[in-house]
Amino acid sequence: MSRRYDSRTTIFSPEGRLYQVEYALEAISHAGTALGILAQDGIVLAAERKVTSKLLEQDTSAEKLYILNDNMICAVAGMTADANILINFARQAAQRYLLIYNEDIPCEQLVRRLSDLKQGYTQRGGLRPFGVSFIYAGWDPQLNFQLYQSNPSGNYGGWKATSVGANNASAQSLLKQDYKEDCNLKEACGLAVKVLSKTMDSTKLSSEKIEFATIGRNKNGKIYHHLWGADEIDALLKEHGLAKPEDTEMTE
Amino acid sequence: MEVLLGITGKDFTIVAASKAAMRGATILKASDDKTRALNSTSLMAFSGEAGDTVQFAEYIQANIQLYSMRNSMELSPTATANFVRGELARALRSRRPYTVNLILGGYDKIADKPTLYWIDYLASLAPVPYAAHGYAQYYCLSILDKHHHPDIDFEQGMKLLRMCTQELKRRLPIDFKGVVVKVITKDGIREQEYEDDVKVAIP
Amino acid sequence: MGSPFSINGGACVAMVGKDCVAIACDLRLGMQALTVSNNFPKIFNYGDVYLGLTGLATDVATVSDLFRYKVNMYRLREERNISPQTMANLVSSSLYERRFGPYFVSPVIAGINQTTGKPFICGFDSIGCIDFAKDFIVSGTASDQLFGTCEGLWEPDLGPEDLFETVSQALLNAVDRDALSGWGAHVYIIEKDKVTKRLLKGRQD
Repeated sequence: MSRRYDSRTTIFSPEGRLYQVEYALEAISHAGTALGILAQDGIVLAAERKVTSKLLEQDTSAEKLYILNDNMICAVAGMTADANILINFARQAAQRYLLIYNEDIPCEQLVRRLSDLKQGYTQRGGLRPFGVSFIYAGWDPQLNFQLYQSNPSGNYGGWKATSVGANNASAQSLLKQDYKEDCNLKEACGLAVKVLSKTMDSTKLSSEKIEFATIGRNKNGKIYHHLWGADEIDALLKEHGLAKPEDTEMTE
Repeated sequence: MEVLLGITGKDFTIVAASKAAMRGATILKASDDKTRALNSTSLMAFSGEAGDTVQFAEYIQANIQLYSMRNSMELSPTATANFVRGELARALRSRRPYTVNLILGGYDKIADKPTLYWIDYLASLAPVPYAAHGYAQYYCLSILDKHHHPDIDFEQGMKLLRMCTQELKRRLPIDFKGVVVKVITKDGIREQEYEDDVKVAIP
Repeated sequence: MGSPFSINGGACVAMVGKDCVAIACDLRLGMQALTVSNNFPKIFNYGDVYLGLTGLATDVATVSDLFRYKVNMYRLREERNISPQTMANLVSSSLYERRFGPYFVSPVIAGINQTTGKPFICGFDSIGCIDFAKDFIVSGTASDQLFGTCEGLWEPDLGPEDLFETVSQALLNAVDRDALSGWGAHVYIIEKDKVTKRLLKGRQD
């Protein structure tokens, strides 16, 4: 019965659902987990990088965390190929705003621009929706640090802590349990690895399997964003006793 | 003989524009308001080719107000100035450019500072402590050079404006029918009463 | 009204030293003989590259903003800064795009290539013809005077401090003989991993 209504994105099923959108959401729920936590003095984004084969060349650059502009970064869950299109769109939108107004785009406006584009693919016919959910971390002078999430339907919302991708339900409940409103960035990073360690399949984490990024304010008050290097991630994991022991790595 | 003036101080920006609407040597109206409020913290004063001025100002006003409605926040004075400059620059290289000179007074609520931008019809943009357009430039900039300080209070600002308008009355060959005075502070934009009929000693 | 290049006035100069480069500009913005602002810098930074733009003020703003857009997109895409040489070609092709309705600017580039460590300067005409130089590049309404002062003061292999003195004297003395530029200056001394920006007061008349 329902099969008749899911070949086109633009058509509601008799129960009032858009199947293509739901399939896109389903596709995302198999992707590596990504999460974001808002702290008093910054935001942390963390993502699980699925290592599919030993033979695969390890990408030096991040594949799930991207810089959008000088004061915004995002984490991706879903189809990387689709994400690239959206990220390029977001970067251009941010630069276009900077060109027109000589000011960085307010975070929510950029999130909305992307969400509007995503929404278009749930309404205009013939095409499939983007199979990507985003978590955005940003800063602007009006609302300071902000965390947003958007999904293929074009819906978005602001969050204190959120997650997308595989096991996002359990990640979400872990975040709900342990999130503290007045936490600082360091504590948020600790919470992020703790949640990731519990939601990921492997028991021990390593810098090959996760990506980390933070956005915060440096000593002279300027906003910075930082995609973490492998050594920094390993140091954080070691600090929280979640690192893979050296010897087991050798025997593998 | 249109007069546009702008003066910033410690916590305010004063914008003044002449009240005469002229066509050739004829004064058509003596109560013209050559300013438009763009939002609660930005005011634009304009002079130049008749028709172009109001057309451009109201086009900008509509766009800035549209921004406020769409995004439920107001554009900062700096962003507004750059937007206006962009529109004027785009028009400059079009088939029919706008011949409009502008002064943009504002108050930046985030930096908690008054702002003033000078923009000419070529879309040159400059942030300035005080500004003038037209013949007023030649008479007033030198007065302001001598007497202006960035941290003057409102009364001193008005005194400076009086010095400028007196000098203009004394030196300009055509009566510009006094000025409309608008003040932008952190509380918004208001019109300031201004005595136009103060006697000027002419040597 | 004269040439669009000399409505607003302004001057810029770049020089090569030993493992360093310098770029300096004046701060005047005018309308013909009238000075409107004495705080209108004409040097813009794009990562490792410094771009000086003299000419029509509206185009200085338009072109500098346009390159900020292009260079930011480049940096995000390539995940590295643009090199001075690449920037030179970007400036050239972007200006030539407007071959039959040019931006009225005379750009100057200065920077150190972070891979080779070599200093690089070059200049352009308003339609993008690159002028590579081993010594110095001048532009703006005081360019004639700058040619004179640079020719007289510049010598090869100046260290950062000497180069600062040379470029500053070259600029200040040139703009003093030009009615359309002056009113203070910005001077950048660029070394491999250090950039020093200095503000010169200069004559205020």
